[in-house]
Amino acid sequence: MSTTTIPQAAAPPQVKTRVPLPPKLRAPGWYRAALFSVLGLGFAVGITVLIRWLQHQHPVVDGSAITIVGLFSAPLGFLVGIGTCDYWLHWAAGRPTRPEDHSGHGAHSWRDYFRVNTDHKVIGIQYTVTSFFFLFVGGLLAMLIRAQLAKPGMQFLTEEQYNGVFSVHATVLIFLFVIPVFAGLANFVLPLMIGAPDMAFPRLNALSYWLLPLGGVIMLMSFLAPGGSFASGWTAYAPLSTTMPVGQLFFSIGVQFAGFSSIFTALNFLVTIITMRAPGMSFFRMPLLVWANFSTSLLVVIATPFIAASQFFILLDSSLHFHFFDAFVGDHNNGNVIMYQHVFWFYSHPAVYIMMLPGFGIISEIIAVKSRKPIFGYRMMAFSLVAIVVLGFTVWAHHMFVSGMSPWIRIPMMVTTAVIAVPTGIKIFSWLATLWRGVLHLDTPMLFALGFLTMFTLGGISGVMLAMIPFDIHVSQTYFIVAHIHYVLFGGSLFTIFAGVYYWFPKMTGRMLDDRLGKWHFWMTFIFFNLTFAPMHLIGIQGMPRRVAEYASKFAAWNLFISISAFILGASILIFLYNVVASWRYGPRASANPWRALTLEWQVSSPPPVFNFDAVPTVVGGPYEYGVPGAVHGIFKAPEETRVAAGFTTPPSQQRHE
Amino acid sequence: MEAAAVTHAEHHGPPPAHRSSRVEAPVLGMLLFIISEVMIFGAFFTAYFFIRVVTHDPWPAHGTKLPEAVAGVNTAILLSSSLTIHWALTSIKNGNRFGLKAGMASTFLLGLTFLFVQINEYVHIGFAPHDTAQGTIFYSLTGLHGAHVIIGLGALLIVTIRSFRGHYSPEHHQGMEVPGIYWHFVDAMWIVVYTTVYVL
Amino acid sequence: MVLIGVIGLAILIPIALVIPWFPSNGSKQAGNVRTLYTVLLLTTIPIFVLVETVVVFSVWKFRMRPGDEEKDGPPIHGNTRLEVLWTVLPAILILSLCTYAYTVLHSNEASKTSEMTVNVSERQFAFEFSYPQAGGKTVVSPVLYLPKGRPVVFKIRSLDVVHSFFVPEFSEKIDAVPGITTTLRVTPTRLGTYPAECTELCGAGHSLMRATVYVVPSATFRSWLSSQPANSAPPIGTPPSSANQAGVPGAATTPTAGASSAKSAAPAGASAAGVAGGKTVFTGSAACSSCHTLGAAGATGTIGPDLDTRLRKDCATAASKRIRGATLQQCISTAITSPYKYIPSGFQAGIMPSTFSHTLTSTQIQSLVTFLSSATK
Ligand code: HEA
Ligand code: HEA
Ligand code: HEC
Ligand code: CUA
Ligand SMILES: [Cu+2]
Repeated sequence: MSTTTIPQAAAPPQVKTRVPLPPKLRAPGWYRAALFSVLGLGFAVGITVLIRWLQHQHPVVDGSAITIVGLFSAPLGFLVGIGTCDYWLHWAAGRPTRPEDHSGHGAHSWRDYFRVNTDHKVIGIQYTVTSFFFLFVGGLLAMLIRAQLAKPGMQFLTEEQYNGVFSVHATVLIFLFVIPVFAGLANFVLPLMIGAPDMAFPRLNALSYWLLPLGGVIMLMSFLAPGGSFASGWTAYAPLSTTMPVGQLFFSIGVQFAGFSSIFTALNFLVTIITMRAPGMSFFRMPLLVWANFSTSLLVVIATPFIAASQFFILLDSSLHFHFFDAFVGDHNNGNVIMYQHVFWFYSHPAVYIMMLPGFGIISEIIAVKSRKPIFGYRMMAFSLVAIVVLGFTVWAHHMFVSGMSPWIRIPMMVTTAVIAVPTGIKIFSWLATLWRGVLHLDTPMLFALGFLTMFTLGGISGVMLAMIPFDIHVSQTYFIVAHIHYVLFGGSLFTIFAGVYYWFPKMTGRMLDDRLGKWHFWMTFIFFNLTFAPMHLIGIQGMPRRVAEYASKFAAWNLFISISAFILGASILIFLYNVVASWRYGPRASANPWRALTLEWQVSSPPPVFNFDAVPTVVGGPYEYGVPGAVHGIFKAPEETRVAAGFTTPPSQQRHE
Repeated sequence: MEAAAVTHAEHHGPPPAHRSSRVEAPVLGMLLFIISEVMIFGAFFTAYFFIRVVTHDPWPAHGTKLPEAVAGVNTAILLSSSLTIHWALTSIKNGNRFGLKAGMASTFLLGLTFLFVQINEYVHIGFAPHDTAQGTIFYSLTGLHGAHVIIGLGALLIVTIRSFRGHYSPEHHQGMEVPGIYWHFVDAMWIVVYTTVYVL
Repeated sequence: MVLIGVIGLAILIPIALVIPWFPSNGSKQAGNVRTLYTVLLLTTIPIFVLVETVVVFSVWKFRMRPGDEEKDGPPIHGNTRLEVLWTVLPAILILSLCTYAYTVLHSNEASKTSEMTVNVSERQFAFEFSYPQAGGKTVVSPVLYLPKGRPVVFKIRSLDVVHSFFVPEFSEKIDAVPGITTTLRVTPTRLGTYPAECTELCGAGHSLMRATVYVVPSATFRSWLSSQPANSAPPIGTPPSSANQAGVPGAATTPTAGASSAKSAAPAGASAAGVAGGKTVFTGSAACSSCHTLGAAGATGTIGPDLDTRLRKDCATAASKRIRGATLQQCISTAITSPYKYIPSGFQAGIMPSTFSHTLTSTQIQSLVTFLSSATK
């Protein structure tokens, strides 16, 4: 890749191979992507018709078969077309790879954000903006949910449409907002924080990003499917999901794209963190955000294959009539229904920590900087992350206390689940101790961080209550669960995401956000978030089931109250939207280090230079030495000559691929 | 893109990243990816466990039988391909181009043979995935492995072609080493599949 | 700070205890769950208040004052004793809560000698309760009658997808899972009428999948039970094929009409075909009335087509005649057994259950056809 550092002999003969600009359709980009998507669709039609014809099946043209193949082949066509694979295809063919210099790196105008780009900073912004788009989509669907539930009895949605709406709401917010937005923020700041010029596999990084909008488009397209969108909840329990109309396929396949996207990103983070830390950056000098993403990535790499498999099972059952979940095949030849839930939750419980640990990382950064104190108990903070990862794999069946699985499994699961409160508690208490005697800068990032501390504690405590089996038996599948979900996901994850965006916006865009608007946003969100979701605990315990389009009239008053609060909560997001859009264009310029933070990303300009650092910094101390006179985390000097002599002239990813 | 390449040709590259680990990035990446792959198999084995042990369906389904012997021979074929690819790797490390080429070609052919035998087995086995849950899980596990063989063969094909074109050298052979790790994984996985599905 | 904390506690705990969290207490189990919840509140509210207090106090006391912009806090890196303390204390608390929850669970699920068995079979979107009687007969009912004070064990099955059985007043629930029988134990302790709900998403009619529970004095229960015809309406679907399933009714009586599959027919001939039988099936076990309007059956559902006004018209269309058969009877029969072959305008596939062909017996379907063709004008 690098023309300057690779010995000339090894450099491929790229620049010479300039041919006259090929037609638009041959260069990577949107035109070719459109063409290839259509080709992918054509392939789907062709292959299914051919196979059915060969097998003498009638009718020869089968819509749902074409849909399944098409949902894989058209997006793959798109990916190749837009140019995520050009490099590898050239490389595999032994042809010169283009571009070998860094012309694909960095963004010069807004258009560059719509191209395949290998710069982690561009990808980070692409990721974040795309995910926020899906926040608005998912939030809008939440508004529909609340409109339907404002009064008892059926409103403007049919039952089937209602089921579809909350299923897409949850799926979009989980798989296309919370999980990727954390990947996006970390993509931007993590390489900077560890003093790396980029991620370990920049091209894989680009591929991970482009998989994401595809997954999103697939999921949203399900609304157009005959029979409506997928409507079996974000959990897609079999055998309901295997007997659903084609809309369900859009979930099963969309999740595969989102899943591969997160696996590839996680691989990339792990390799980057392990192999590309700046000199002196030992594991225990890494900022906690890096630790958090390290732990999260472990979870992703180990757990995500399970949801991929669970959806393959669904696809096979519903389209090829396999019997994974068919309990009625015949005597002694039956599938197992509960198996789906085990496989699903073996991913989806770790997934809730995938949606929380990066947030813990963000909060650690902000609380330390904004309290002007070192993080209290740094090592325990790191160890507790790892403890959560390990424990996180041992608790999945707490979602199945009423599922009819073998009763004994519930007991160990109850204990492990409740024990997770201990490492989480360590984190909460350490943050509190970090606040103690600090100099608290109560600006927007800090407000959201404090909002997170208080609200997540509440959500976590309701989680611990849920772990208590007899109580869970009463409230499982009721609005108490909905309350827990939103306290941990909105009060937890989303608050950390807002905190992170307010905190790194200056670094990402070079502009300051408006703090006054930010505070308005915080207070409105905080108040109406509580008014929306706190009453759900009550109506849940009183017995209002979740996932219903209509409900008993005794819950009417509370539901109206909740709906009204929810609309105002939705409106509070508009303040944020306005703030971001206006500040990005007209906000005051940000200095390199407006928060006086020590971590490396703040030691470079805002936004950072194309290659992050002119020379890789050397880390000489911990990341949070606030209050220690004269403390520095990293110093910038020319890289040690010895390294070059040892032959490590290029980062591993940038060596010649042979 | 092309035009851009020209305008920015004078662009200087990024500073060299610090190497903070002795493991090479592509190797580490492949190892982590293999963890994911193992977990995919883990999910399919969970399905197998539930159908065979929890639901307690007889194995194999009444009136069907699994060709242990043929599959056993096939296992041997696949395992020997692990040896040949190792031979190819040691050869190129020692600068022996013939060993590289012969090793890669025979690995590829052995893998292809395995796949062929497997397909042949499907054709003659006498039950279909939609007959019984046992059939479902038999085809799913062997099929999942088969899919990995196909992916592995794709990678091997590229490596084989490139080695015949004179690529790789004693210093630079990561491009064949990394697919090689994957191939070893595919072989090792087969042993687990074979033992659980056919032998036990 | 202690003051803030104490005030917080003094406000929150009474509020938390005063709020009427639960619906009325309808069973022995429910009582235990309510006590557990109170204990949980009393242990976790102090933790919550502690966190809030520290945050509020810090914000009040340590916030940056004008002039402090460049100041830093003291560089405190940690304190081992404190860290051990806040690891160990929560751990002890958690483990004692788990122990307590375990004892509650254990006593709630203990089997009693005098238990009465009720079989619940669930399908899209209806419950059916059956009471095994002496001599292998069963009494089948779409509503649940329970005698007060008698321990009941529910044996729950599903005939299609995953459902659930939940009575909030009993504080107990469990899923109905295709292929297995799940068990739930309840001892009703309070007379009253309660809702029973399906709480597991099971398709379009999920919100409507409700039944009524009557807890009545034992004497009333006995007279109700004896007034019910044993085996009058056949249970929908069939019990699991393993006849040794304890307490599954009809496992002995089901004539294995040549079918070994679990989809086989329910007791044949048990139902009197005809208009009356059809109406029973329509309003009762098959729950057609949860989705369809039909004057003759007093049904007012709105999810599916209004059968009074639509059925004859729809069946008379050319497309319907081609697909569902020319006569009204054929049309109705096809509409029940393969509902999506022809979709009346304005409706969608995937909503009406497509499983009637194996969850209803052919007699029941016949009686429905007879009923519907005579009831609609
Ligand atoms: C960000 C996501 C997130 C997070 C972090 C959590 C965290 C936790 N969750 Fe939650 N959970 C969900 C998202 C999340 N959950 C979702 C989406 C569902 C529903 C899925 C569905 O069905 O659709 C769910 C459902 C769910 C259930 C299943 C309920 C049911 O369906 O019947 C249970 C049961 O045990 C549970 C428990 C817990 C516990 C114990 C924690 C713990 O990790 C919490 C730990 C934190 C604390 C306890 C607070 C801080 C600690 C202290 C201050 C220390 C002292 C505290 C004590 C001693 C109590 N959750
Ligand atoms: C991160 C995850 C996340 C987030 C942020 C939210 C946010 C919200 N959720 Fe959701 N929710 C879930 C995850 C999430 N939810 C999950 C996992 C489920 C379980 C689903 C299942 O059962 O399968 C669920 C289920 C769920 C239910 C229960 C449905 C049911 O069981 O029947 C309800 C009901 O009130 C609800 C409401 C809300 C509301 C009011 C918000 C609000 O916070 C939303 C606030 C609004 C916005 C964020 C955007 C508003 C936008 C605008 C006003 C316009 C601007 C738009 C443009 C310019 C284009 N959610
Ligand atoms: C969950 C809702 C639901 C239930 C339960 C249900 N139906 Fe339907 N029904 C529908 C819907 C929706 C349609 C229209 C779409 C279709 O044909 O599938 C329909 C269509 C029909 C039609 C065709 C009507 C026409 O105008 O052509 C008949 C007849 C019918 N149902 C009878 C029944 C009977 C008898 C039962 C009970 C055994 C029943 N339905 C149960 C939802 C339901
Ligand atoms: Cu049955 Cu929900
Ligand atoms: Cu969980």
